Amino acid sequence: MSNKNEFVKLEECKPIDLLAVAAAREVHNGDVVFAGTGLPMLAIMLAQYTNAPEAVCIYEAGSIDGRPIDLPTSVGDARCATQATMASGLTEAFYGQLHSGSVDLAFLGGAEIDQYGNLNTTVVGDYLSPQKRFTGSGGNPDINSFAKRTVFIMVQEKRRFKEKVDYITSPGWRLPKWPSGEMVHKKEVYGKFFRGGPSAVITDMAVFRFDDEGVMYLDTVHPGYSVEQIQEKCGFALNVSKVSGETKLPTYNDMDLLYKKVDPEGIFLP
Amino acid sequence: MEKLKKISLKEAGQLIQDGDMLTFSGFTIWRRPMALVYELVRQKKKNLHLFEVNGGTHTEVLAGAGVVKIWESCWVGHELYGKLGESIARGQVEGSMIIEDYSHGHVVARLLAGAFGLPFMPTALSMGTDILNPKYDMLGKAGLRDGKNPKIPKEKYTITQDPFYGKGDILLMPAANPDWAIVYVSQVGDEGTVRVNDQTYTDAEAIKAADKVIVVAEEIVPDSYLRNDPQKNIASGYDVDYVVEAPWSAHPTGSQGYYDVDANFMRDFYSASKTKEGYQKFADEWIFGVENHEQYLEKLGVSKLESLRANKALGYSTRIKRGKR
Repeated sequence: MSNKNEFVKLEECKPIDLLAVAAAREVHNGDVVFAGTGLPMLAIMLAQYTNAPEAVCIYEAGSIDGRPIDLPTSVGDARCATQATMASGLTEAFYGQLHSGSVDLAFLGGAEIDQYGNLNTTVVGDYLSPQKRFTGSGGNPDINSFAKRTVFIMVQEKRRFKEKVDYITSPGWRLPKWPSGEMVHKKEVYGKFFRGGPSAVITDMAVFRFDDEGVMYLDTVHPGYSVEQIQEKCGFALNVSKVSGETKLPTYNDMDLLYKKVDPEGIFLP
Repeated sequence: MEKLKKISLKEAGQLIQDGDMLTFSGFTIWRRPMALVYELVRQKKKNLHLFEVNGGTHTEVLAGAGVVKIWESCWVGHELYGKLGESIARGQVEGSMIIEDYSHGHVVARLLAGAFGLPFMPTALSMGTDILNPKYDMLGKAGLRDGKNPKIPKEKYTITQDPFYGKGDILLMPAANPDWAIVYVSQVGDEGTVRVNDQTYTDAEAIKAADKVIVVAEEIVPDSYLRNDPQKNIASGYDVDYVVEAPWSAHPTGSQGYYDVDANFMRDFYSASKTKEGYQKFADEWIFGVENHEQYLEKLGVSKLESLRANKALGYSTRIKRGKR
């Protein structure tokens, strides 16, 4: 067995492993993390085993700082409440934790995103005569609007990285200010409620971040991909002037933890 | 204390009138009052108005049967076991249902206002989204905000300014006070005290917000047993109007401490619900093909139910296969 802290070789990990590990690295020790179902759960649990042992996790159905023995399959799962400080409800999650300003980091997914980090999980096409309906917002816009940092975990496809999303379900950095609908910076919409916004988007090909103007740029490229390949799978002109290098692969320790501790049943992992 | 009004699932179904506004207990695929939801379909209700903090399998059972006219909520699906709410989606795409989208926090705000007897609740969550786009006020577009229906507010929401500390824009969300809360709970006492295990979701708020409350309990227990640990209870008997005792009545959704989500049943329902014909086949077999909840349980079979039964120490099943390994 190689040294546990060495990075695995590219052929030794799957795209989903890299996604989970790259997301886990976004957690700072001590962060209060609000996580959605799926990969976000793998990321926060892996982070708690590695770089952020003191991070705590809130799930929107009301479990606060749980220590699940078995991986939950959804945020309302009975497993979320194991060893929690509180098994409360949505009033505590949305008002007591989120609205009160306790949340440092949000881990969320989405179907479509634009260069400002506006996210759509509601419909494809015109909302008044949609071609397709997704699940709807859920807590995505609430969590994203009040967390200091949000990390979106998504699949890299041209139809998902759009010039303009069909419906702004969840707020990015440039937003309509109602009732006029004029597009302004998030700070102008949220006033003194402003706490932050999208900080990273992690896909199966790359890690993106947002500049001071709230525009997405390519930060690191996953090993095996080129900048050109990523631009090809992005529906808007991507800022590639600030690429900082390659995304670091998982370590052997990360892989061990993911497959033996976090998701041994293969619920989200293959 | 008034004596507990104990009724059957069938009698509970008969209380619900066409056009009534309903809300439910639970969260997505957990603690949903499925047995009573099936009964509403069996009794062929019409034009129901659902106000839900979030939707789930029960929503899809109702929507697929064509008994839903208005759905006000934020999310519907079957979590890991079915990624969309196919019947709600079909209702929106075809235009056969009125879908009013809010964010999760917004619907919580609406239910809280209703629960506390307030006309509205402020929130700054999810501002600057298309949820608040005035063009997308669907009940308004349908002409239903004219004040004739006392359950439909005259505005979807309003924006105001914080008058006290100058924090800027803030939303006011109108109260929701459904005609009925249909609430599946872990235990109810013989005087009506209500307990749910672990996460409370918005069950207490639903009970307080609704005009009338039907509790469908996994089991009825002596009230004194629940009063030994009052901090674990979420409502008192005087908040409850009717009680039904029906074990396994949240199936296929899960119930903390009693049984897990029936993943395979849910996956099968989800694939069936992708077409109207598929839904009808499911309904013919599992709703109209059985006369009542007891027959439904017999059809599921003892070994299936035993595999879902929760481990007494952990509160969920350790015997079901959940993943690929």
